[in-house]
Amino acid sequence: MLHLELLIQGLIYGSMYAVIAVGLTLVYGLLRILHVAHAGLFALGAYLGLLITNATGSLVLGMLSSAALVGVGGMLIYRLCYQPILNRPPHVALIASIGLFIAMEEIFRLIFGPYGLTYQNPPLQSQIALGEIHLRAAELGMVIAAVVLLGILSYLSQSTRIGIAWRATVDDSDMAKSFGIDTIKVRYLNFFIGSGLAAVAGIFISLLSNLVEPTMGGVPAYKALAIIVLGGLGNVKGTLIASLLLGVVEAFGTIYIGSILDRDAIAFAFLIVVLMIRPQGLFAGR
Amino acid sequence: MIKKLALIVLAVGFSIPVLSGSSHAADTIKIGFNAPLTGFAASDGKSASEGAKLAVEQVNAAGGINGKLLELVIYDDQAKPAQAIPIANKLIGQDKVVIGVSGSYSGPTRSAAGVFQEAGIPYIAAYAIHPDITRAGNYVFRTSFLGQIQGRGGAKLVGDILEKKNVVIITLQNDFGKSLAAGFKSKAADFGIKIINEYEYSIKDRQFGSIVAKVKADNPDAIYASGYYFTAGPLVSQLRAAGVTVPIIGQEGYDSQKFIEIAGPASEGIIITTSLDRDSDVPETRNFIDAFEKRAGFKVDMVAASAHTAIMVAADALKRAGSTDPEALRKAIAATNLKASTGTISFNALGEVMKSVQNQVVKDGNWHRHSVIDDPALLAPPDK
Amino acid sequence: MGIYEISLATVVGINIILALGLNMISGFCGQISLGHAAFYGVGAYTCALLAKSGTPFAAAIGAGMLAAGIVGLVVGLASLRVRHDFLAITTMGGGFLFLGIVRQQEILGGELGISGIPSSGFGKIGYLVMVLALAALTTVFSLWIKRSWMGFAFDAVADDEDTARVMTVDVSAYKLAAFAMGTAMAGVAGGLYTYFARFLMPDDFGFITSITVLSMVAVGGIGSVFGVIVATVILTLMPEFFRFISDYKLLVYGALLFAVMRFAPEGLAGLAGRVFARTKRKARLEDEAT
Repeated sequence: MLHLELLIQGLIYGSMYAVIAVGLTLVYGLLRILHVAHAGLFALGAYLGLLITNATGSLVLGMLSSAALVGVGGMLIYRLCYQPILNRPPHVALIASIGLFIAMEEIFRLIFGPYGLTYQNPPLQSQIALGEIHLRAAELGMVIAAVVLLGILSYLSQSTRIGIAWRATVDDSDMAKSFGIDTIKVRYLNFFIGSGLAAVAGIFISLLSNLVEPTMGGVPAYKALAIIVLGGLGNVKGTLIASLLLGVVEAFGTIYIGSILDRDAIAFAFLIVVLMIRPQGLFAGR
Repeated sequence: MIKKLALIVLAVGFSIPVLSGSSHAADTIKIGFNAPLTGFAASDGKSASEGAKLAVEQVNAAGGINGKLLELVIYDDQAKPAQAIPIANKLIGQDKVVIGVSGSYSGPTRSAAGVFQEAGIPYIAAYAIHPDITRAGNYVFRTSFLGQIQGRGGAKLVGDILEKKNVVIITLQNDFGKSLAAGFKSKAADFGIKIINEYEYSIKDRQFGSIVAKVKADNPDAIYASGYYFTAGPLVSQLRAAGVTVPIIGQEGYDSQKFIEIAGPASEGIIITTSLDRDSDVPETRNFIDAFEKRAGFKVDMVAASAHTAIMVAADALKRAGSTDPEALRKAIAATNLKASTGTISFNALGEVMKSVQNQVVKDGNWHRHSVIDDPALLAPPDK
Repeated sequence: MGIYEISLATVVGINIILALGLNMISGFCGQISLGHAAFYGVGAYTCALLAKSGTPFAAAIGAGMLAAGIVGLVVGLASLRVRHDFLAITTMGGGFLFLGIVRQQEILGGELGISGIPSSGFGKIGYLVMVLALAALTTVFSLWIKRSWMGFAFDAVADDEDTARVMTVDVSAYKLAAFAMGTAMAGVAGGLYTYFARFLMPDDFGFITSITVLSMVAVGGIGSVFGVIVATVILTLMPEFFRFISDYKLLVYGALLFAVMRFAPEGLAGLAGRVFARTKRKARLEDEAT
């Protein structure tokens, strides 16, 4: 019973990670950039979601508008930050992204204060019973959102023109261009979707803790990197599975070996072990 | 070659304005203050500096120290020990402060304490809990509880006052949480407490689903959980949401209105060990609480109160010493017997404070008095 | 020089040694390490434990250097299996793992760290002189490596591992060498920090520290010894410089990192190079015109 509950908690953590990490792996797949500032967009999404929900009383409105705004924010970051430095060695984009992330965290603190914001009427707090298991609506919502959104993403990439264009661009950008694919549009779409997903994840997570803080992107900033490596850089399905696996490992690990290692160390120990066995990650390539 | 010269000139040119400090005219008495104004601990840094600023304003409004005004020199240490050392050196060497007060966490406080001790300038830790801070030497004092001491108070609260026997401990994995847990465990048996299990979490965690599930399975009579408002708020709310109804006992890390805001209705009935009694009718405490809300615009928290107390102790010692001679100041601080917002402050030989523990409980969305622990034997800090 | 200037300069000196160590790994050899602070920590903790049990200064620092170098060798071996972006994240993970272990070991002080580390015995100024001397030594060493055959081999590996391998450059051996030397330097910096602060806490050696050191190398210009030194001086002194707008200093720091990478990706060294190439060209054109 307890183990089932821990498993479910792990899957909940995992879905949070998945929705955040997918955006990151989309960017890596396309541009070979470690987009640390993605975590800043995650936090921005949470802030906007909370503010709009508090102002309008509607979580749906908050979530949709936040995702859209943050999606645009992501596109802006691509245009202003990454596009000019695409031909540089990888550390350039990484450090630029880190600088941008630090700046974003500070802007949040300066504008919204260091104490963090809370929901006036936290939505989705009711208990839902699935047999013996009790979950909060927000937890269930997180899992459903992950399944639905990633499912849509997967369908889009397999069965629509734009999806095929995206996959072609990831495979071989020059070849794709020679086939008439607008690779620039693909990139913008990539950032829009990935960042929008991050915003949704940010909002669900803030619902679970009722707190939006300037530093809330800190952990996703590095943990999402570990997840996309674990899943195989650029591999969406791999990232999803890696996220769920990591969530479960953390859920059990924090209880049973929490006195030996803290949560982050458990996550990275898991990553290192996997990489030693399979250096290309769980699933290589796409 | 020229390129290298250019770089060297750039570096030197940058250093000169930095290293040639400024010293201001001196008709003020300067008190140094280090706090984490940026970085992950920025919320506590803000509270601490607001509390300290209020104290300085109040002292100056009442005429200052023997005619001279107090000046607070605040620097941001980002809660990093490595940053605190140059800051301490700057306060002593450039700003020529007569007393230093730490509004920061244990790491930077302990590093800075070493510098102040070596320079022979008194240093007062407002809320940092590391035991070795006062062991830096006889110039270092602390106006708040050691983690261990507060933990012992928690054991008495849980086992004796609340009479709960089967307890699960949830520990924050940092010096604060660990020393609280150690103190609690050291006295648990004395109060008939049996510790069923202990779980640990990181200061960055906000989702406690797995711990909540396990605690529910453990089915304790009470939970002793350490944390800060930003971890305790989510933790308590998630415990209650999962149907865990037993008493949850926290400590001064919860002591902020933000905790109540975050946890909402789940915060009702949460009890903490702390030093600030919201229902106090002691004028020092009452005045402080009202004045702080008016000045800062938000409700008082423990960190602000601690910083306020530390500055008041410094000011009081300055008055009694009648001079800014470091040795005279040190003696004056050591002889303190002052009623401050967080209790009556007096120090033992090590520079640790001896005062009672105020237990507060959340009732109707606000902190109120629950009980007081006045047990000198239990709460006696180490004296070396 | 007051005690403030001395303590600042000492921190700068220690940071230079630390940054040059990372420059060796990331710059000379193209291996991006996001966990450099862990080796800093290995050196610091080793030195601290020995210092507290009476080991003399030089031996304690030496032990710190060795310990960090050995751990570096091990991590370097791991780096043989993975490349580039993977390596960055693996080293990051190593850093977290190191911290996670240290935090829970009572022998290493756990969460409460190690305090009461004895003084070096040199006095504040003497210690500063010693740190600067070691920084100078490290600089000379880095320059020598850069110019010697090893440096050439490192460049080859950084540029293109496969080609280097074809040219029978023993890629693995050079990668390992880079790691070990760079981490040993971090170990020295760690030992020096130990005697400076005389108090260690796990948080001193976390991910943020790794990023801070990496930014010193990147802003200076990866691979450029003088560029990295200048960047280290500037970035270390920057918080002090911005005390009057202290609330914004972290924002400025982040913006600076971003701006340098965005507009001068080769760092200060690249900028200086460009400026002087342009003035040289201008002078030559003017000469030709007259």
